[in-house]
Amino acid sequence: MLSLWIGALDQGLAYAGLALGVYLTLRVLNFADITVDGSFALGGGSAALLISRDVAPPLALLAAVALGALAGAVTGLIHTRLGVNDLFAGILTTTGLYTVTLRLMGRSNIPLTDPPLAIGHLPDLGLGPDGQWALALLLVVAGLIGFLALMLATDLGLALRALGNNPVMARANGISTRRGLTVGIAAGNGLVALAGALVALYNGFADSAMGIGSLILGLGAVIVGESVLRPRSVPMALLAVVVGSVLFRAMIALALQLGMEPVDLKLATALLLLAALALGRVRIPGLSDSGGRP
Amino acid sequence: MSLQVSDLSWGHPQPGGGWRQLFDGFQLACPTGQFVVVIGSNGSGKSTLLNLIAGTLRAGGGSVALDGRDLVGWPDYRRARVIGRVMQNPLDGTAPSLTIAENLRLAECRRRSVFGRRGLLGGLHPSRSDRRRYAALLEELGLPLADRLDTMVGQLSGGQRQTISLVMATLGQPQLLLLDEHTAALDPRAEATVMELTERLVRRLGTTTLMVTHSLDQALRYGDRLVMLQDGRLIGDWSAAERQQFTPASLRALYGSATVGSGFSPSP
Repeated sequence: MLSLWIGALDQGLAYAGLALGVYLTLRVLNFADITVDGSFALGGGSAALLISRDVAPPLALLAAVALGALAGAVTGLIHTRLGVNDLFAGILTTTGLYTVTLRLMGRSNIPLTDPPLAIGHLPDLGLGPDGQWALALLLVVAGLIGFLALMLATDLGLALRALGNNPVMARANGISTRRGLTVGIAAGNGLVALAGALVALYNGFADSAMGIGSLILGLGAVIVGESVLRPRSVPMALLAVVVGSVLFRAMIALALQLGMEPVDLKLATALLLLAALALGRVRIPGLSDSGGRP
Repeated sequence: MSLQVSDLSWGHPQPGGGWRQLFDGFQLACPTGQFVVVIGSNGSGKSTLLNLIAGTLRAGGGSVALDGRDLVGWPDYRRARVIGRVMQNPLDGTAPSLTIAENLRLAECRRRSVFGRRGLLGGLHPSRSDRRRYAALLEELGLPLADRLDTMVGQLSGGQRQTISLVMATLGQPQLLLLDEHTAALDPRAEATVMELTERLVRRLGTTTLMVTHSLDQALRYGDRLVMLQDGRLIGDWSAAERQQFTPASLRALYGSATVGSGFSPSP
């Protein structure tokens, strides 16, 4: 029973990068980005491929981040340079990424038999390998929150926040919408690809279809986190998103505990999000209508 | 910096078909530091002229130059590094989810690209010294917002937002200031506050300024020069001294009955 909850904590932390990436594109930039479904699998697939070829895991993770950022930049460029609608730009990229990931992996599934060596050196907190993973992932996620909180407090971060908040004002203050969106979407997808790589490492395999439904998972984490903590500052919002990711995995663990079939989970997740959107409690730019409400 | 608008042309398709050439060889020269008030009826091209200068509309031909430097080909965000602008809607000029200090910081650093190295590695902002500077500036301008630097701009009234927009437009040493009916959405009290602040900021900075207004009261009271547009042509151009010949009634007669706004005050 305990291992189920520790497993949920580990999964939630591994998926935290996905939630932070979705937060960055959706909440900060006000851009509904579908690319995450493709960049999550790209991150997982590329990291698994590199690690299976004896590349050090930290380098494999960095490579995954770079590829994810590149995928995000492609979406950003399609949207800003060609004037393609945000949703459609993301769909185009993520569709193409499915082939790219498959080509990169060479097959649809890459197993990873051994966990990274560094994990074994961490204290297990009396919980075995799951405890070691929890500690490792906690360190990574704390680093991500710290980095993002600092980044969003720089002039660049202020510009990205202004761009999502009021693009007219941003342009009137010398901020290029094209560069801002491209940089921001690239950064968001870099985080998502990192999550894909961490999930592949944690699960011990990467699958070319592992990204399907990622956007919904990321949205779910953002919504749950914001509903629970109601953050009023950027650092708190980042923390809320991570807490949301863990709680979301805990809800899934609870559903499994109550007897739900794993095959039904994605439908249940989608219905949960739909209910939140339909009740008008959550406004998602490009995905939900304010219904005339301010 | 002096502003030189030369041979400006711009037109647009009309709803029923056809083409309306609003500007055709338009000329306007403003020496450094001149405060020019632009009036004209709806559709005369006042806001369009400001949009063409700011680059939010692309001119069909001609040039817009500041001290001889042609801005043609510069996108609007790049022109914004040398042109401060306040728009009619108080919601357009600020980012509501950012604090007053954060908005001011963005305006202050607009002369350089935030996507360069300094944008990411130039420290955390607004810093303590930024805040001290902004508080001193707001106090100096007599704005009761110095102790509310951490307030989200979205929580301010329309008048307060427009004063912040105005302060932002004048930060970062703009070479040209464009004010597009920036008091139109305000109540009389807020309008008076914003206009008083406008006058003080323009005089203090000595920035060349174009202010579009429908208020004849403002047209007779503010600025060094009054120009009137009609169908994209300059049909009147008066210095402050020449402007004395007008009474609100005679200016209203020139202006046309359709243009008298509700804010018109009959006594100068």
